Amino acid sequence: MGIQKDIVKFNVGGRIFQTTATTLANAGRDSFFGALFDDNWDLRQHQPNSSQEFFIDRNPDCFAVLLDLLRTGDLYIPSNVPERLLYREAMFYGLIDHVRSAKWGPFDGNRLKLSRSVTGRAPGDGTAIRAGPDGGCCVAHGSMVHVFDWTLEEHPPINLDYQRVNDIGWVNAENVLISACERLGKGDGGMGLFNSSTGDLRHKFNVVHDNQTKSYTAGALSFSPDYKIFASCKGRSNEYGIGVWDQVTGKQMDFFYESPGWSLGDADKLQWLNGSNCLLVATLFPRKDNCYISLLDFREKRMVWSWSDIGALLTVDEKRVRDAIAMEECNSICVVNEYDDLGFIDLRINGGSVRWSSRSRLLKGKMPDEPCYPKLALHNGQLFSSMNDCISVFCGPDWVLTSRLRRSYGGSICDFSIGGDRLFALHSEENVFDAWETPSPPII
Amino acid sequence: MSNQKKRNFQIEAFKHRVVVDPKYAEKTWKILEHAIHEIYNHNASGLSFEELYRNAYNMVLHKFGEKLYSGLVTTMTAHLKEISKSIEAAQGDLFLEELNRKWNDHNKALQMIRDILMYMDRTYIPNSRKTPVYELGLNLWRDNIIHSGKIQSRLLSTLLELVHRERTGEVIDRGLMRNTIKMLMDLGSSVYQDDFEKPFLEVSAEFYKVESQKFIECCDCGDYLKKAEIRLNEEIERIAHYLDVKSEAKITNVVEKEMIANHMTRLVHMENSGLVNMLLDDKYEDLGRMYNLFKRVPNGLSMIRDVMTSHLRETGKQLVTDAESSKDPVEFVQRLLDERDKYDKIICQAFSNAKTFQNALNSSFEYFINLNSRSPEFISLFVDDKLRKGLKGVSEEDVEIILDKVMMLFRYLQEKDVFEKYYKQHLAKRLLSGKTVSDDAERSLIVKLKTECGYQFTSKLEGMFTDMKTSQDTMQGFYANHIELAEGPTLVVQVLTTGSWPTQPTITCNLPTEMAALCEKFRSHYLGTHTGRRLSWQTNMGTADIKATFGKGQKHELNVSTYQMCVLMLFNNADRLSYKEIEQATEIPASDLKRCLQSMACVKGKNVLRKEPMSKDIGTDDAFFVNDKFTSKFYKVKIGTVVAQKESEPEKLETRQRVEEDRKPQIEAAIVRIMKSRRVLDHNNVIAEVTKQLQSRFLANPTEIKKRIESLIEREFLERDSDDRKLYRYLA
Repeated sequence: MGIQKDIVKFNVGGRIFQTTATTLANAGRDSFFGALFDDNWDLRQHQPNSSQEFFIDRNPDCFAVLLDLLRTGDLYIPSNVPERLLYREAMFYGLIDHVRSAKWGPFDGNRLKLSRSVTGRAPGDGTAIRAGPDGGCCVAHGSMVHVFDWTLEEHPPINLDYQRVNDIGWVNAENVLISACERLGKGDGGMGLFNSSTGDLRHKFNVVHDNQTKSYTAGALSFSPDYKIFASCKGRSNEYGIGVWDQVTGKQMDFFYESPGWSLGDADKLQWLNGSNCLLVATLFPRKDNCYISLLDFREKRMVWSWSDIGALLTVDEKRVRDAIAMEECNSICVVNEYDDLGFIDLRINGGSVRWSSRSRLLKGKMPDEPCYPKLALHNGQLFSSMNDCISVFCGPDWVLTSRLRRSYGGSICDFSIGGDRLFALHSEENVFDAWETPSPPII
Repeated sequence: MSNQKKRNFQIEAFKHRVVVDPKYAEKTWKILEHAIHEIYNHNASGLSFEELYRNAYNMVLHKFGEKLYSGLVTTMTAHLKEISKSIEAAQGDLFLEELNRKWNDHNKALQMIRDILMYMDRTYIPNSRKTPVYELGLNLWRDNIIHSGKIQSRLLSTLLELVHRERTGEVIDRGLMRNTIKMLMDLGSSVYQDDFEKPFLEVSAEFYKVESQKFIECCDCGDYLKKAEIRLNEEIERIAHYLDVKSEAKITNVVEKEMIANHMTRLVHMENSGLVNMLLDDKYEDLGRMYNLFKRVPNGLSMIRDVMTSHLRETGKQLVTDAESSKDPVEFVQRLLDERDKYDKIICQAFSNAKTFQNALNSSFEYFINLNSRSPEFISLFVDDKLRKGLKGVSEEDVEIILDKVMMLFRYLQEKDVFEKYYKQHLAKRLLSGKTVSDDAERSLIVKLKTECGYQFTSKLEGMFTDMKTSQDTMQGFYANHIELAEGPTLVVQVLTTGSWPTQPTITCNLPTEMAALCEKFRSHYLGTHTGRRLSWQTNMGTADIKATFGKGQKHELNVSTYQMCVLMLFNNADRLSYKEIEQATEIPASDLKRCLQSMACVKGKNVLRKEPMSKDIGTDDAFFVNDKFTSKFYKVKIGTVVAQKESEPEKLETRQRVEEDRKPQIEAAIVRIMKSRRVLDHNNVIAEVTKQLQSRFLANPTEIKKRIESLIEREFLERDSDDRKLYRYLA
C-alpha cells in the first residue's frame, strides 16, 4: 500500500488526530481549515516530515465531534460534551453553520419532535412568537421582546420606549422589527428595527400624513420579497390604514387609508401574497364586532377582494372567524373559529360565503379555563391550526387532520410560528415556549 | 455634604474579576502586527497560522475587537503609504507594471490577513457595523493609492495615452491594461466610472470629433461609412479585451454621435456618392452599411427613408408622366415593375427588410402611379399582353410571380373600378377571340383580384367564364339536334349574358345569306330550349375562318373578323366593289368598316384585297378588288383588324364617362348605408366616411359626393336639418 499523500496529523490539546485534507475541505474556504490549506498558508509546507503533527491549542473532545461532522455530515454530541461548549468551539473553527444545518432536518409537520422547552420569566401573557429565518425566535411579552438565536441562547432583550408590543417580525437573520403602541404626546412607540444579537435600535420608522410626521400605533406586520414592510397603523386624527416602508432606506413609501365602514388600521393579521401581488388584511372578532377580510392592490390603490360577516344571521354566531390565512395555490382563504372548525372562502368570487368544514371539529366541550384564540399557519402545503394546548396539522387537497402536537405543561398556546425549519409554540401560562424540529433522516 | 457622608458607607461591590495580564492585549496585538508586516514583506513562511488565528480569536473574545480593528487600519494604512511611494517612484512605462505588481501583492496580503482575522470578521464586525476586512483593504487601497494626488492623475493619463496609442495603430500591452482596469472595477463601480470611464468617454468624443472631420473632408460617403464601421467595431473589441462590459453602450454611443449623428445630413447628401447615388448604382453593401450605422442613431433611419422616398417619388413621377413611356403601355408597366424590383431588392438586401422601408416604398408607388390617370388602363393592357402571348413557354410558377407583381401594382391604384372596366373589356376580347394562352393563369388572376377586392369585384368576370363554358355546351346541343348541318359552314355562337360583358349596342350588320340562315336556325334552337330570353347578335365581336382560292389557284384559309368575312363574301359575286357599295351591302358602321378594309388592303403580307388608289388610308371613293397575286408562306393566314391597342382620346373619354356614371350609384349606396346607421351626420363626416368606404375601389370626388347627396335629398332619402344646414337626416 502506498503512502496516502493528503494525510494530515493534528495535535489538538494533546490528543493526536489523523484525517485527510479532503475531509477538511468540507469545511469550506471561509473556515479555519479552509484558510489553513490555502496556498498562502499551506501547512504542508511547514510540515515536510509527515510524522510531525500540526498543533492546535483547543479542546480535543469537541474537535472529535466536529471532525466527525466533517467526515460524515452527521452531528452526534456525546453526553459528556455540553452543547454550549461545542457551539463555542464550532465558532472558533468557523463551523457553526455546519453544526446548525446538521442539528435538525428539513421541516415536515408530521415528523416533528419536541427539541426543547424554554421557560420565560416575563410577567403576564405572551403576545406573539416569531421564528427567525435561521432557527432563532423572538417572543413578545407586554412591552418586552426576548430574542433567542438558534442555539436557544438568549440575547439582550429589546423594547421600543417600553410601549406595549403588538407584533414582531424578522426582516432577516440579523434584524427584528417591533410594532408597538404610541405613547400619547411623546412621539414614542410606533415601529422600530433592532439588531437581533446586540439589541441595538437601528431605525425608527416614521409615518407622514400631509407632509407632517405623526406618532402612531403600529399593529400587524408583513414583509414582501421586494423589500417592503407593511404595517397596520392607527394615528390620532383618524389616520387609519396600512403603511408601507422600504426595508433598505427605511422611508415610508405609501399609505393605504381605510375607507369608512371598513377596517384596516386595526388589522390582526397582514399577509403578503406574492402570486397576486396583493396584501391580505384581516380584522377579526373580538377586536371589532365584525370581521373584515380584504385584499389590497397597492399599485392601483384598490381593494380587489373583500369579505365581511356584517349582517350574517345570528344562528351562525358561534362561528365567528378568529384567524384567517390566504392559500394562493387553492385560490381560497382558510379561516378558523373558536371551536377549531376550519372554513374556506373562495378568492375568485367577491363577497362569497364561508364554507365551514365540521370534519375538523373535534374538541368541543373540553374548554380550558383560560381559552386562547386559535391561530393558523401554512407551510409547504401543510396547514397548522392551534387550539388550546395543541397544534393540529392538516394535509392534502381536502385538508385531512394528520398530526397533533401537544405538551401539557404551560397551558394554552397563544401563538405559534414556523420558520428556519422549526416550529415555535408560545404558551400563555408560565411563559414557556417550545421548539419543535424534524429529526435528521434515519441512518439506515 | 450628605453625599460625601453617604459615600463613606458605600460597600464595595464584590469583584470577581480574573486578573489578566494588563499588557495582554498590547502583547497579542504586537504579535499580530508583526505578522502583518511579515506578510507585506513576503516573509510569511515563518508564521504560524494557528497561533495568529488563536491570538486574533482571543483578542475578540476578551473584548479587544475595537483595538484589533483600529490596529489593523493603522498598520495597513502605513503599509499602503509605503507602497504608494514606491509606485510614485516608478519611471515611465514601469509605472503601470509596478502598480499592478503592488496590487497583486496587496490582494494576496489582504487574503492572508483576512484568514487570520476570520473570527473578527464573523463576530465582531457585523455586531459593531464596521467594514469587513476584505472590503476595508480595498477601500484603503483606493484612498491611499488610487486617490493619492500623484498617482490618480498619472494613472488616468497613462491609461488614456495607451488607448490613444492603440487607436493610432500601435500595439499595447493589453494584459496589463486589462489587469489595471479590473483593479478599478474591483474597487467598486463608482471608482471605475469616476477615475476612468468618464474621462475616457470625453477624450474619445474629442478624438472622434477630430477624426470624423478629417474623414469627411477627404472621403466619399461609402469610404467614410467603412471607416466609421471599422472604428465602431474596434471600440466594441476594446471593450471585450480590457474594459467593463457596461461601458460598451456608452462608448459606442460616443462614436455614433461623433461619427454618424453629427455628419448624417452631409453624408446622405454627399455629392456623387450620397444615398441617391448609392440607390442609383445598386450599391447594396454601402447601403447596408449605411442602414446598420444609421440605425444606431436617433432619426438616422427616418432620414434614409425620407431621402429614399423623395428620390423614389421624383423618379417615379418622371416615369409615369414621361410622354415617351406612355406610348407603349407594356413597356410602361414593365418599367414600373423593374423599379419596384430594384427597390424591393435594395430593401431586402441592404435595409434588412424593414417594415417601415417597405411602407415608404408602397406609399411612394401609390403616390406616383396615380399621377397618371391612365395607369389602370396600362396595367390591364400589360396583363392582356402577358396573357395573350407573353406567357408562352413560361413555367406556371413564373406566371404566378408575374401576376403577383401585377397585383402589387394594382394595390397601389386608387381607381380600381377603372381598372375593372378595362380589364373586363380586355378579358372579353381575349375570351371571344380565343386568344387566352392559359385558362389557369386567367383564373388565378381572378382569384387574386377576388381576395384583394372581394366577390363583388370579380363576379362579373367570373360570369364571363361561365358564359364561355355554357356556350360550348349549347353549341354541342345545337349540332347534336341538327345533324343535317354537319355539311356547310360551321357556326360557333357564344351566348353572352347582358351586363357581364362590356357590350355596346351596335347595329347588326348584314350577314351573308348562308350565315344568316344558320343564325336563324340557332336562334330558334336556343329560344326553343331557353324560354323568355332575347338574343341579339354582336357582329362586331365575332371571327370567322374562311377558305379562299386566289387567281393562280393558291388556296389559303383566312382567319378574319365577322365584318371582314362579310366584306370578303361580297367578292364571291363581284370582282370590283366600291367603298360605298360595300358599305351599303353590309351596313357595317363606317369606322369599323374602314378599319377592316384597311387591314385587308393596306397591310403587307395580309393584303388579300387591292385598293385603288393605292394609299395608306381608306377613302369613301376607293374601289376594291381581290388580290389575285396574294401569296403567303403559310396556308393559314390570320388577318388582324387594325386595332388601336391603346384607346384613342375619344374612347378614353367615353370610358371615363362610363366609369363616372357607374360610380354614381355606388356613391349613393354608400351614403344611404352610412346615413341609415348614423341617422344624423354632418356634411364633412359624410364625405369622410364615404371616401373611406369606397377607397378600396376608387377615390371618390367630394364634389361628386355632394351632388349625390343633393340628388338623394331631392328624392327624399335624406333631408337637411332645419336648424343646422350642415346636418343631414336619414328619412326612413
